Amino acid sequence: MQPLANVTPFKRAGSIQVQNVGQVFRTSGAEVIALSDVSLDIKPGRFVVLVGPSGCGKSTLLMMLAGLRQQTSGTILINGTPIPAPDPNRVGVVFQEASLFPWLTAEENVEFPLALRGVAKAERRAKAEAMLELVGLEGFGKRHPHELSGGMKQRVSIARGLVQDPPVLLMDEPFAALDEQTRMTMGDELLRIWAATGKTVVFVTHSLTEAVYLADEVAVMSARPGRIVDLLQVQLPRPRTYEMLSGDAFGSLRDRIWRHIRKSA
Amino acid sequence: MPGRLTTILARIAITVAIFAAWELLSRTGLVNPRLLPSASDTLATLADLLQRSAVRNDLAVTASEVLSAFAVAVPFGCLIGYLIAENRYFADVMKPLLFFAFSIPKSIFLPMFILVFGVGFAEKVGFGFFSTIFIVIMSTTTAVEQVKVDYLTVARSYGATPVQTAFRVYLPSMLPVLLEALRIAMIFNLTGVILAEMYASRDGIGHQIATWGENFQMKQLLAGVVMIAVIAMTFNELIRWVETRCSHWRT
Repeated sequence: MQPLANVTPFKRAGSIQVQNVGQVFRTSGAEVIALSDVSLDIKPGRFVVLVGPSGCGKSTLLMMLAGLRQQTSGTILINGTPIPAPDPNRVGVVFQEASLFPWLTAEENVEFPLALRGVAKAERRAKAEAMLELVGLEGFGKRHPHELSGGMKQRVSIARGLVQDPPVLLMDEPFAALDEQTRMTMGDELLRIWAATGKTVVFVTHSLTEAVYLADEVAVMSARPGRIVDLLQVQLPRPRTYEMLSGDAFGSLRDRIWRHIRKSA
Repeated sequence: MPGRLTTILARIAITVAIFAAWELLSRTGLVNPRLLPSASDTLATLADLLQRSAVRNDLAVTASEVLSAFAVAVPFGCLIGYLIAENRYFADVMKPLLFFAFSIPKSIFLPMFILVFGVGFAEKVGFGFFSTIFIVIMSTTTAVEQVKVDYLTVARSYGATPVQTAFRVYLPSMLPVLLEALRIAMIFNLTGVILAEMYASRDGIGHQIATWGENFQMKQLLAGVVMIAVIAMTFNELIRWVETRCSHWRT
């Protein structure tokens, strides 16, 4: 792990309260209950992973935490207040692959949220450079996304998510499109960045191994209507290592999640 | 796999061959030289025509009409296209209607333009505008629709206003498609204006070409054809050059 000399101290991590949240979609007369009575209390600085079968509404829940979508019932509080619209000062979002703007360079992509706020060019550039250094992409700022590998692109996405120093970072299957080796490396990288910044992270994935490897807590969701059927505390020590993957503790946690998912699939 | 140089050489060879065939057909008398003056004669006439102030004046008139029509039709068409594509309901209502309108040959409306505007600048610009606007609207609509939803979600999650989204996401994302649309729009525009000039006009290069044709001045007529072809191709290549510079990120 590298020390982070050039990075300014980060804002305090944020808390997330999800209280009895439901989501109903109306599609041509029919009502689909996507989420039902979901509650989740996330303490500042925790790394929480949402897993569940596809279509269980885990991404929907994440979009609601980001303010991109509104719940039909219940309350969501980020740092104690509701989130009726996206608020980059409270929440940063890292999307699935290919969410970088291909016409901008890596550093311009990272600067994008700041440019929207009208932050001066020099300040923007300095922050973008610090973020690219944080994610291990020093010297790659002038490249365009098509000149970067899949893993590097997601590093840029993480840098973009962190550039406004939000207390909460939401990640929607960020490594799903990467190959296995890159995915493992990116997991380690993410944990390093998380340790350095101390953010609260909510991470959506459908890889059980990734879930247990990364998380403090794993929230397991059931198939539609999505609800949280189990909340596992992952007590494995940090830093996590590759060797833990083959340990008994790791295996039994993964089995427990798998049994839930198999039941609802 | 033939190299880039070979490809270019092949193109030059074809072009030279066409001119050579033209020259030969005329010189040998295989085609009546009065109907098809030789390539060298035509080019000499072209050089001569370009010296004349009357012809230069006609070119300037046509250029001003073409550029005026283009300058109005493109922003206007882009705006309408954007508004149509932005609003789902509006798009559903308008798109088939636009397709219907687009399928009608624009030339049949020319007499109406002459009746409404009279013969002159406004009529020709108006008809140029009319010939161009539909293709601009349709291309813009397509360009807007191919903007990835992911990009819009990213912009929204970072709190972009609608204006910021338009200029920082839609526009750069659409630019390659728009430039291509611009190129095609210019072809329609040029066709419209020149047709209007040929049909009823007192000046402009289209009017000249029509006159030469009526007077059986084949050399001048062919020189005029070459002139307009070169101008059109130059503009086309210019936009294509900008296009490749703006869409280097497209892979």
